[in-house]
Amino acid sequence: MWDPDSADHLMKYFYWCIAAALVVTVLAVLFIPGADDFVERTFQGYVGRAAR
Amino acid sequence: MEAASRALVTRALIVIGCLLLIPITAVLAAAAKQRFADGPNRLFSSGPLVAGELHSGPEPDWSFVDDVQTIELQLLDPPRARRIWTTEHDGRLYVWSGYMGTMVGRLWKRWPIQAERDGRAVLRIDGKRYERQLVRIESGEILDGITDAIRDKYPSRLTRESVEAGDSWVFEAAPR
Repeated sequence: MWDPDSADHLMKYFYWCIAAALVVTVLAVLFIPGADDFVERTFQGYVGRAAR
Repeated sequence: MEAASRALVTRALIVIGCLLLIPITAVLAAAAKQRFADGPNRLFSSGPLVAGELHSGPEPDWSFVDDVQTIELQLLDPPRARRIWTTEHDGRLYVWSGYMGTMVGRLWKRWPIQAERDGRAVLRIDGKRYERQLVRIESGEILDGITDAIRDKYPSRLTRESVEAGDSWVFEAAPR
């Protein structure tokens, strides 16, 4: 059964998880060697395919 | 019941949007980090090219770029650098950009449009910087030789016809 209160609680928890994931992502890209290159290489693949 | 299912769909869309924020943030962070670097890596442009001796004196023998896969190209306006392919033909140096015939390509590759407006550029090749003037070549027989040289060096399908059709933009990196 759909319980709005329980869903609200879950969503709040989810937002906190996303916020933490975003912080970890930024820190990883800035400070973990090779992480920025991996992101750039992956993005380059998608952009290259889209531009053809 | 209908309101409940609508709320469920809304929440599902929010969840998808939030999850998409993670890769978008990674891309933005990588691009921002690159902007402060002296020289580009792959796709994202960097800040100005600072390191490396600035060439002065007679025009170099550009045949050495046959052994160079990519060079760094910085425009003076805007002062951002990116990594590109290059080739030499008949003693002259050329750079080019593909994907100029598609909307995504033109959004991605903005340097050719900026270079056509102001062609002053700095190239860094094997750690040495060269001040050049980018001059667009839109048509003419010379494109046959240039595109042959490009296809000999790279896995490219560039042809004179594709350049003249505007799908690819070719520039001579002339002396400044």
